Amino acid sequence: MTRIERRSPVQFKGRIKKWEVRDNWTVALAYEDEGQGPFLVDLSHITRWDLQDKSLSRFNQPPGKEVPELPGSCRLQDGVLVTRMNRTQAVIWHLLSGAPDLPAESGYTDVSDATICLALFGPNALAVAEKLCALDFLDPGKQVPFLLQGPFSHVPCQLVLMERGRGFDGGLLLTCSRGYAESMVHAILGAGAEFGLKPAGKERFTDWLGTAFPAQDTSSRKGKPA
Amino acid sequence: MRLDRLPTLRINPSETCTLHYNGKTSAGVAGDTVATALYANGVRVFGRSLKYHRPRGLYSLDGECSNTCMAVDGIPNVRAENTPAKNGMHIDAQNVQGSADFDWMGFMDKLDWLMPAGFYYRTLHKPACLWPFALKQVRKVAGLGKISPDFKMKGRYAEIYPTADVCVIGGGAAGMSAALAAAEGGLRVILLEARPWLGGSFDYRVSPYDGEKALYQRARELAAQVEAAANIRVFKHAANVGLYNNNLVTAFQVGPEGGAFDERYIEIRAASVVVATGCIERPLLFENNERPGVMQVGCAHRLARTYGLLPGRRAVFSIGHDLGLEAAVDLCDLGMEIACVADIREDGQNPDLLLALAEREIPLLRGWVAAKAYGAKQVKKVTLRTLEGSVKRQLECDLLVASAGRTPLTGPLTLAQARLRFDAHTGYFLPADLPAKMHAAGSLTGRNHPLAIEASGRLAGLKAAADCGANTAEAVAAAAARLSQLPGPERGTKLVMAPVKGRKSFICFDEDTTVKNIKQAIDMGFDVPELIKRFTSAGTGPGQGGIPGHNLPLFAARYQALAGATPVPTTARVPLVPTLLATYAGAHHDMCKRTPLDELQKRDGGVFRRIGVWQRARYFSEDFSCREEVLNVRNNVGMLDGSTLGKFRLHGPDALKALQRVYVGNMVKLTPGKIKYSAMCNEDGCVIDDGVVVKIAENDYYFTTSTVRAGETAEWFRYHTRYDGWDYHIVNFTDALGVINVSGPNARKVLQKVADADLSNEAFPFGGYREFVIQGGIPVRAMRLGFVGELSYELHAPASYMVCLWQILAAAGKEFGIRNFGVEAQNVLRMEKCHIILGVESEQRTNLLDLGLGFLWDRHKTETKTVGTVALRQVEADPARLRLVGIEMDDPRRAPRDGSILVDKRIRGYVCTARRSFTLERSVGMALVEAEMAALGTRLEIYEDECNGQKLAARVVPMPFYDPQGNRMRM
Repeated sequence: MTRIERRSPVQFKGRIKKWEVRDNWTVALAYEDEGQGPFLVDLSHITRWDLQDKSLSRFNQPPGKEVPELPGSCRLQDGVLVTRMNRTQAVIWHLLSGAPDLPAESGYTDVSDATICLALFGPNALAVAEKLCALDFLDPGKQVPFLLQGPFSHVPCQLVLMERGRGFDGGLLLTCSRGYAESMVHAILGAGAEFGLKPAGKERFTDWLGTAFPAQDTSSRKGKPA
Repeated sequence: MRLDRLPTLRINPSETCTLHYNGKTSAGVAGDTVATALYANGVRVFGRSLKYHRPRGLYSLDGECSNTCMAVDGIPNVRAENTPAKNGMHIDAQNVQGSADFDWMGFMDKLDWLMPAGFYYRTLHKPACLWPFALKQVRKVAGLGKISPDFKMKGRYAEIYPTADVCVIGGGAAGMSAALAAAEGGLRVILLEARPWLGGSFDYRVSPYDGEKALYQRARELAAQVEAAANIRVFKHAANVGLYNNNLVTAFQVGPEGGAFDERYIEIRAASVVVATGCIERPLLFENNERPGVMQVGCAHRLARTYGLLPGRRAVFSIGHDLGLEAAVDLCDLGMEIACVADIREDGQNPDLLLALAEREIPLLRGWVAAKAYGAKQVKKVTLRTLEGSVKRQLECDLLVASAGRTPLTGPLTLAQARLRFDAHTGYFLPADLPAKMHAAGSLTGRNHPLAIEASGRLAGLKAAADCGANTAEAVAAAAARLSQLPGPERGTKLVMAPVKGRKSFICFDEDTTVKNIKQAIDMGFDVPELIKRFTSAGTGPGQGGIPGHNLPLFAARYQALAGATPVPTTARVPLVPTLLATYAGAHHDMCKRTPLDELQKRDGGVFRRIGVWQRARYFSEDFSCREEVLNVRNNVGMLDGSTLGKFRLHGPDALKALQRVYVGNMVKLTPGKIKYSAMCNEDGCVIDDGVVVKIAENDYYFTTSTVRAGETAEWFRYHTRYDGWDYHIVNFTDALGVINVSGPNARKVLQKVADADLSNEAFPFGGYREFVIQGGIPVRAMRLGFVGELSYELHAPASYMVCLWQILAAAGKEFGIRNFGVEAQNVLRMEKCHIILGVESEQRTNLLDLGLGFLWDRHKTETKTVGTVALRQVEADPARLRLVGIEMDDPRRAPRDGSILVDKRIRGYVCTARRSFTLERSVGMALVEAEMAALGTRLEIYEDECNGQKLAARVVPMPFYDPQGNRMRM
């Protein structure tokens, strides 16, 4: 009998050193030889919700997880990133902890399988991004985290800049249509080769997020596992 | 011998490299270009000219002409002057029969009288039969360089897309000053420099900058400041190639040897732009002005100061500006004999330079100019004349340094739509007005004094910072005041050409266009530079107008001597300098979509084809007729990956209204558990999409679209409801849900083994929609559809479960002989059933009624207007429309190709899809034909590509061909 399992469309060639199974997903926690960064982590297994409503402000519950007012702005709390996409739409990514059940309101849709989700971070991560898109991650007028929407390697993407360090150091989250997974990973790893970009596991991401957002309880494991 | 101790050198003589040229090995040093390395090895003739096969040599050292275009490692037309020498390079001369030194085609130079301006437009056309032959010969000799069509470009090509507040084009003193000024307030600044180092015209000059340091020292000082500034990003060896609206600046950069890229494309978005590209030299027009050994001032000077190579032993200078005097003095100090300096100017020279010439006993002839150079492959002698031509003098030399004046590099400004006007004082074409947020600085503006160059750069940089919102008003005022105290633009020389006839005075080296050719063109009525350019080809070669760009309009105005006429420059276009197409292509990632089952299908022998953005398994064997795949579905059961189908959730209080707006059917009649097939039309009533709609809950719908329309669907809904203010929302599930089609008489048996629901015909009839779970863990949305004409279940499941689901179904179907079928088999199956695919059985003009889909249109919907129905009402009774008909071929084994045309005395329609049907054992298809030919039994003639007049015969037959009652779908 075939074991029920979910598969990420992102398949790195690196050898997985440590993994765990969560909610039918096999999640790579660490790869052998992840290098010194930058890193590319597959987060396609994390739960992502789409929220659309004429009045998004009525979804400002629980406190601290309000939908940001302005399109392009983001709010990160307890490992949940809420991003305002436009006047009537927001997305909610459960980056660290597992997600609770999808709320009953009809405005919510689970879109976890619609996209891939990648984290690109570490030294020169933004130099990698600059090779693939014309979006301005280094705009000093914007406070992280913030959302940019546009083509990344010619594919429509949503990109959330999470951290901006010295020079081109920093990190971002990227989602695009699931079907582009293979092409996108190939493009990113190709662009990042000169900087030593390597696939890394979820633990690397968790550590980074904890460093980038020290106020976050990045070790929280509330709800179902992610 | 290299001058290896000069402080201005940009080479490292201790590090050598080896080049292969003309069967010999040549040694260069680190920092050499291909051209300088060859020059160091005694090469003086680098190639031959386009038409006349005249010998050509070093002239500008900046790749302003095709003189030193060579084939490097198999790549033709590489500018040897700009290309860094790398160890092991193989170099070949171009446009030669034999070698560059001994070219069998050299006799062409004597035949110039046979080739007047535009000769190929005017001769060789009569008698008409001559032209095809002549065309071949012209094509054989035209063009520079040869490349095989299957040549594979080596190297690594990349691209980057940086953003800046201020982009400065040009890394000379003005550009660096501009960058530093703009960066003072913390703005992000990008500095582009075409050469591998910063410094511009200061870089190689030892003349004093101020009382303390020389120009080259000042250049290095500025460069150190620029490179130390954290907010200035410097791209060296990065030539600007384009400048577009909203200050989009493009460039290409040559990478360092062993670096991450060989060349990369740079696309910069900047709020403000400073153009500080400086000047090049205006070539001096005289007889044999492109003979090897004739070179520009900067070329001779830089050869010595930058590359440590004395350009000759004994030189004559014929110049029109102080840089020429400066170079003569400096080269004399470096050990070259200067026979004479002929200065076009009678007066106006820098007194210090005159004194320096006198101290070195270099003869100076004021108001003299070179009239003719002699020597077959290398200058041996030169004739100098007074400007009016009355007195002449001949001098022996192996180098003639010639330059009429300077000309600003205004290409980027022209691209940005700046208007240029002729400035009589400088003799330059200068911008009359600049676009918003664009500034010019440096010698480009006519200023030559070093301090003025820097001051103009600073002023431009501050203005650019102000464009970005920086408060620089006070600083701008101070910089402007400082600039006004410094020397302004200098008077330029007025001489256009030496007093000669111009038969061998070349105005464009790339195209072998002489002054005589220009005269011929003007005499034939081509009286403005843009027309002359096209008729004579002057300025259309690889140098992108660098050599003739200034002289052509000057000469055209002078020759016509029109009262009040001012010279008008020709238009610069991108790319401003030649660029490899490979660089434009960049990394060239082929971005395509793959379904969740991609890997599994590859493992099962799938043959993939690109369909839109998707890679899809079209076949599962080398038999592209798909006979076995088709018959297995008809007789047993098959599985198809249909994940590319567009899938959407539509929810909200006004969701139904939105559906009613875009679908022709009436969605009020939708009931949960049932699917409704419908279509969307555009405003013309033409069908753009079809699919099924399901009501999931109140105000909550799920619908599918065709693969190709999936990307536009959400926008289509929003566009057609944009004024209504309706409250509805759309979620794209196209990638979120995969689709597996289980089709065939045994489909139910397979599915029933793994599903937790009753799948009997009564519980789940044709046209039904159900949600259930597979093997206790995989949620699916299932539809009873019949696209292929058999009992079918379309299973929509979360994409992450798709591999697992496929494996479960494959295991369950093993006992029934389940097998994959691909897109082509599906195409045959649905064609037998006469189910259409939009875009195959339709094209842009095909409306709903043409396809026989009028039954989908509910004419009684009143709540909302439906897109396309106004047009449909208008064409409803139009007898002149095409009609979709079924056709059967007379020869049952021979189907026509898709797209073949139906003809009698004219084209009457075309075949949409036709295949040999193994189920029916005949060849059938669908065609769009004129209405009068749509009657059953009508004979049709089909004309295929390359059929040699042997038309195929068919007749119109009833549709569908297979299972007309549809019993098999409902079983």
